[in-house]
Amino acid sequence: MNLIGYIIFLAVAYLITVHVGLVFFRKGRVYILFLMKGDVDYSDAINRLLLICYYLVNLGYAAVMVSFWNEITTLAELVSSITTMLGRLVITLAILHYCNMFAIYLLSVRHKKTLKQ
Amino acid sequence: METSFVAIAYFVYLPVVIALTWYVARTLFKNGKIFMVDIFHGRVEIATCTNKLFELGFYLLNVGFALLIMEISRGISDQQELMEVLSKKLGGYSIYLGLMLFFNMMLFFRGKKASKKREQDQLKMEWMKTQIPPPIK
Repeated sequence: MNLIGYIIFLAVAYLITVHVGLVFFRKGRVYILFLMKGDVDYSDAINRLLLICYYLVNLGYAAVMVSFWNEITTLAELVSSITTMLGRLVITLAILHYCNMFAIYLLSVRHKKTLKQ
Repeated sequence: METSFVAIAYFVYLPVVIALTWYVARTLFKNGKIFMVDIFHGRVEIATCTNKLFELGFYLLNVGFALLIMEISRGISDQQELMEVLSKKLGGYSIYLGLMLFFNMMLFFRGKKASKKREQDQLKMEWMKTQIPPPIK
């Protein structure tokens, strides 16, 4: 039973992580371009590095979670443990995401200040 | 038979919660786009990107919370108990979602107010510049 749980969990975690990462990669480009004053090569490089970092952190976290898994004996336990773990993963992702947005906001405020001077 | 009731509760809870979150997020951010364009002074590209990122954050936070609170720790013995447990969970989640919705709307309104104030300040500054007489030599 545990093995089925791991397979489902890892598959869903992979799908969520990759989908979210691609959306961030495409939509975040505008901000980096804005902060780098339109330097395309530089901002694309930064963007790709950030994507790789993001994948490493999230997939690594998902893989580490597998080792802290309880014994599963019934269907209900299977469903509940998978969803709890996924919930934890997704909430972590959300917190990271909001921190990032806040960081971008702070950077843009500073950027505006330096532009004014 | 105890676990099968719990499993039924899970299989009812999950699709309902995901559909609810999807519907609320879609409605909120379809209507939120117009606020974003206003906040970013008509720069459509960055406004759409910000809107999309906020939508994703909304999904992640709420779906994650829904999955976290799903676990039913006590056993369920009959249909009546199943209904009660399920309605408590779904109702609680729905109230939480409503609060998040209001919080996001508050953010939109505040952003709009701030951008309007900035615009007015700028206009006022420009007007002041025209009003100040040239310095006396």
